[in-house]
Amino acid sequence: MTSTDFYYITEIVTYICLVATSISLILLMIRAIKGPTNPDRAVALDAIGINLMALVGLIAILLVTTKLNDIVLLIGILLFIGTIALAKFIEKGVIIDRDER
Amino acid sequence: MMSNLAVLPIIIPLVSGILLAFFHTKTPFVRHAAKLLSVISTGVAAYVFYYVLQNGTVTLETGGWEAPYGIVLVADLLAVTLVLTTNIIGLACIFYAPHSLTEQKEKFYFYTFFFLLITGVSGAFLTGDLFNLFVFFEVLLMASYALITLGGEKVQLRESIKYVLVNLFSSIVFVTTVAFLYSVLGTVNMAQMAERVQEVEQQGILTTIGILLFFVFATKAALFPLYYWLPKPYTVPNPVVSAMFAALLTKVGVYSIIRMFTLVFVHKMEVTHELFIWIAGFTLVFGAIGALSTNNIKLVIAYNIIPAVGFMVMGVGIYNQTALSGSVYYMISDMIIKAALFLLAGAVAHVVGTPDLRKMKGLIHQLPLLGWLLFISAFVLAGVPPFSGFIGKLMIMQGGFADGEIAIVIIGLLSSLLILYSIMKIFVRGFWGEKDESITIDKKTVTALTWPVAFLVFFTVLLGIGAEMFYPVVDDISNQLMNPEIYIDSVFKE
Amino acid sequence: MHGTNDLILRTATVLISFILFAFSIYLFLAGHNAPGGGFVGGLMTASAIVLMYMAYGERAVSKIIPVNYRFLIPTGLLIALLTGAGSFAFGEPFLNQTFGHFHIPLLGDKELATALLFDLGVYLTVVGITMTIILSIAGDRE
Repeated sequence: MTSTDFYYITEIVTYICLVATSISLILLMIRAIKGPTNPDRAVALDAIGINLMALVGLIAILLVTTKLNDIVLLIGILLFIGTIALAKFIEKGVIIDRDER
Repeated sequence: MMSNLAVLPIIIPLVSGILLAFFHTKTPFVRHAAKLLSVISTGVAAYVFYYVLQNGTVTLETGGWEAPYGIVLVADLLAVTLVLTTNIIGLACIFYAPHSLTEQKEKFYFYTFFFLLITGVSGAFLTGDLFNLFVFFEVLLMASYALITLGGEKVQLRESIKYVLVNLFSSIVFVTTVAFLYSVLGTVNMAQMAERVQEVEQQGILTTIGILLFFVFATKAALFPLYYWLPKPYTVPNPVVSAMFAALLTKVGVYSIIRMFTLVFVHKMEVTHELFIWIAGFTLVFGAIGALSTNNIKLVIAYNIIPAVGFMVMGVGIYNQTALSGSVYYMISDMIIKAALFLLAGAVAHVVGTPDLRKMKGLIHQLPLLGWLLFISAFVLAGVPPFSGFIGKLMIMQGGFADGEIAIVIIGLLSSLLILYSIMKIFVRGFWGEKDESITIDKKTVTALTWPVAFLVFFTVLLGIGAEMFYPVVDDISNQLMNPEIYIDSVFKE
Repeated sequence: MHGTNDLILRTATVLISFILFAFSIYLFLAGHNAPGGGFVGGLMTASAIVLMYMAYGERAVSKIIPVNYRFLIPTGLLIALLTGAGSFAFGEPFLNQTFGHFHIPLLGDKELATALLFDLGVYLTVVGITMTIILSIAGDRE
């Protein structure tokens, strides 16, 4: 297998992955809107974030750049904090406790 | 001339606002500091005005980036004149504020937002870059959102939501239009835009974008189909805030119309400028009718903003040197007189306890000075000689006659009569008649509220009586407006 | 609400918030000629502080970080503005910038630019505004 073949295959695989991620994003969006309960929506939003990270990563591969790595990290962090906030809201009803210790 | 002078009228109010934010809890100190800083700011603006008058346009390429690439500030005569007027109004309002606001409102960063508003307005006047104009629009709108809701009364919140939504929408359209223009012309620098539009002789797409841009500014300036949002939100905040809004915000829109449609979009007059004349006519009629429809004195004055804007846009629509001089003259005079009238109405409402005209009578016995100031203001606003409103209107109408736009001139004259009637109604019903014993006044507060009004009215009277002195300046401004090459050369010289 | 147990969240927060602070400083310094800068750095710092607020509650964190966030906004604005106006002293146009190479102990030869000071102002303003907004909303009582 020559190196041009390798790049060719990588590109095809990346495109297939992009399509798959997009489909999964659409399905998750339906879940986030429809979701019978709030925890369903929270999980769907979390998964949307993970898919976004994947999307940015795939685009970075396509564009052959490392500049987008920071963005993947950034989405991950904001996603983490957002999920904690959602989880805490569903569990306790408040996000920032006021009078506790 | 390349000098940092051009940026000083933006920086000084900004620094003032920031400094006052640090001390927002120490009210007496902040009051005095605000007065001092306002005097300094006015002094600097006056110096810049004098310098530009003597030496011609001053430009500044910020950050050392050359003109079409970086943001350029252009202090031409029109811009510095308006900046000076803004600062004079700000000065009067700062001295009026402590007697009119509650201490709680002052603590809630009133002075900071006040100075930020002046920063935004000065920036909008001085910038030579369309996108930067948008940025300064946002600066002044942010400050105005904070000022209009200051105090958080129910009626304020109800009216301000309208105000915020309309302005937000027009900002979105503004940015979209800038994007359109950039995609067609490849630049947002006004001088370069003017050059490029001239090269392609303003093809159809550019005229379309120009009219879109006009509607953005028309929303801000409250022209005919888009004025419905203006009157009520302007009556709900404190009189100081209303005065600043009435004097400055709509005029920034008018300034932008004047700038864009004398500099850039001037090659398809029969479409754009003809449209302005029609819109100005409708604006005059509907604004004047609106002013007659109510007994709330604040609302009467708020409705009077609309026909005034109509006159200014009419001058741009007629587009000859006389009419443009008239527009600029009327704009300067109107900025000052609108601020004075709002402060005046605020003082009257403060004394009587309500802005309802039906509950007032015979105020001349208690408030002689305020009464006569209102009388003079009414004459200035309606354009009775020898006051400044008359000179502005006269020049616009001379220009109109010269171009054969007789219909619009007649509409202008008739609406002037309606305007005079709407203001004289306040004077006749509120100030004449038997003395109302039930109204008690606090002499000290009334005196403190009267002086800033007298200061502003003095300026408009000076503008009228001293027209000989000011006319050459205005003539110079309109000469620069009629010859866009002067502006373009001042940006691209060397 | 003493029933719920946040032990995992609290333990993790100790570690994660420090990583976030480090990342925010990295983003802030990278901003000169790579993606990043004062704005993103400020947002990252604010999110680290918000994470601490979520895990430990308002009272504890305001004891640990006794900063009035409202005060940060004018401070940041002032720093940014003075950096811009500093060029007046050298007769250069407003917002002009310059840079130089300095030898810093441990780090070696580094390029320092005045744009960094401007970015510091942006950073402080963003932290101040974000925290003010979030804490005002969180502190809203019914």
